[in-house]
Amino acid sequence: MSLVGKLVAIGERGERAVLFTVIEGDGVGRKLLAVEGGGVDGDGPPELAEHADEILRRGRNRLLELDGRRVFAEVYGPPPRIFVYGAVDTAEALCRSAQLLGWTSIVADARAKFATRERIPTADELIVAWPQEAFAQVAPDHQTAVVVLTHDDKFDEPALLAALASEAFYIGALGSRRNQERRRGRLLAAGVAEAQLERISGPCGLDIGADSQAETALSIVAEILAARAGRGGGPLRQAPHRIHVEVEEPVRG
Amino acid sequence: MKEILSDVERWREAGEQVVVATVVATRRSAPRPVGASLAISESGALCGSVSGGCVESDVFVEAQTVLETGEPKLLSYGISDDEAWSVGLPCGGEIDVFVERVE
Repeated sequence: MSLVGKLVAIGERGERAVLFTVIEGDGVGRKLLAVEGGGVDGDGPPELAEHADEILRRGRNRLLELDGRRVFAEVYGPPPRIFVYGAVDTAEALCRSAQLLGWTSIVADARAKFATRERIPTADELIVAWPQEAFAQVAPDHQTAVVVLTHDDKFDEPALLAALASEAFYIGALGSRRNQERRRGRLLAAGVAEAQLERISGPCGLDIGADSQAETALSIVAEILAARAGRGGGPLRQAPHRIHVEVEEPVRG
Repeated sequence: MKEILSDVERWREAGEQVVVATVVATRRSAPRPVGASLAISESGALCGSVSGGCVESDVFVEAQTVLETGEPKLLSYGISDDEAWSVGLPCGGEIDVFVERVE
């Protein structure tokens, strides 16, 4: 099968892969295709495959400099996912924001009256299940952002515990400062380490004065994007670094 | 090549040779991110882009050589380039573009 055919097949199966191309130095034009958790293919330097996992976790194309070669690494894979637990109004607004980004949205709630198509028409997937079951089904990975929205301890707590046990790159929880404090105490009592709690953005979202559901969703999605890029989320005018997320200099291996 | 994969596949299935140009590095400001790519078919069809339109015509010319020889090329565009006056980036940035024939 041709390389293009293989890349198309990877896309159809929803797999992730990195395509390495030597662009300068020994063996210009040679390629290596490394599929996540799977095979390696091509005539490029085989040692490049060692870098695939880290590149996939960062989810961004980048240039590597290795043994006098410059190598371009291109990421293939499905778009990131936003998994919302709590089929409240903000969940639908979050799905719309996710759609705008081309991301996949999944909404789950134990309450069948909440998790309906009428209420959440935009979700790519709707699940009626308690948190443990829903999280087991969705299996959040390093390309998944989790947002917990129920405002109800009996759902929020197990949902956050499940999120913390996953590799989700972002975990957000709505709720007032007072509720966050109370929740913090309860999670600590449930055995969660202090450092683990730092993974939770709560109250989630950037400080942009959001009020309506759509504004709140935008503020949360903006925070998710900033987390993914390792940025603080302030005004670009005040940003000390480059506007775009790519590294300015090639990363040396 | 991700964004243009379906067009590349279609052209290849139709028996055409295809050249793909990809932005592999950007310095300072740049119109399109790393990974943005432009595909050019043997018959001259285009899809995708590597800039806001500022360097595509030059890439197209370079692509003809790559199409014939099969030898890939690494091109640089930007204000430090000799061709800054004819083919440059108005945003003041620099981009490196790798041009290769799809095998």
